[in-house]
Amino acid sequence: MSAVDTGLAGEYAAIYAYGTVTVHLDGQARETAEALESEHRERRDTLLDYYDTHGWEAGAAEPGYDIERVADAEAAQTLLLEVEERLTTAWRAGVASTEPAERQICLDMYTASAEALARLRLAAGRPVADPWPGRPED
Amino acid sequence: MFTTRRGLLIGAAALSAAGCTRPPATITTADTDLTAALRAARDLSEAAETLGYSDIAEDHRTHAATLERLLKPNVVEGGAGLDIGDDAALAEAESEAGDEAHQACLTTEGDYAVVLGEIAASRAAHAAVLA
Repeated sequence: MSAVDTGLAGEYAAIYAYGTVTVHLDGQARETAEALESEHRERRDTLLDYYDTHGWEAGAAEPGYDIERVADAEAAQTLLLEVEERLTTAWRAGVASTEPAERQICLDMYTASAEALARLRLAAGRPVADPWPGRPED
Repeated sequence: MFTTRRGLLIGAAALSAAGCTRPPATITTADTDLTAALRAARDLSEAAETLGYSDIAEDHRTHAATLERLLKPNVVEGGAGLDIGDDAALAEAESEAGDEAHQACLTTEGDYAVVLGEIAASRAAHAAVLA
């Protein structure tokens, strides 16, 4: 499984997560979540174009994903933050690729993912600064 | 003195036994991409601190410290000369410096792609929340 395969699977999961838990948010947090869900859909489409361009077959989204039960806004934000953090980590891994096209798409996705993570943290009232987005903790 | 192969081998063995060997020489040159990223990090750190974004300034100081370590034994002085007077200018500078690191990540042939990519992503994230 390539870094792009892993990232695409993560984008599918993120779209599912946003679609499932955004209903628990309101105000600015909801607006941010809705905007980010739309951006994840755009990134998914960009990735599918990438597979088409290379003549590769992209993996399909799962019918459903096993996510934690969410009952309120706090839990929804926590889950979405976790999804964005994992996705940022997944895309970061692809930046090490020695294949130029793969490095480029992973870097583009990684940058977009780090931006999304920061915006979601801001909307959730959490610290946004992070010198190494997505870097796994030691 | 060591004019034959046998003589050379004997000479090398003698020098080694006498503790006269040196580690292989390496040529160290400052990586231009890392140097540019370091200078921008210094300017962004100073500007973010002045404008009251201490947490963002700390990110840039962390980048600068890492880049200084990677560039050793070379010592890079100064900043990039960025002119940053307000929040909008900081957001723009973060975006431009992020684009520069992004491009450097794509073109580097060394082992620095990930660190340059991380710096690009961090700067883009700063720009996103400052905008």
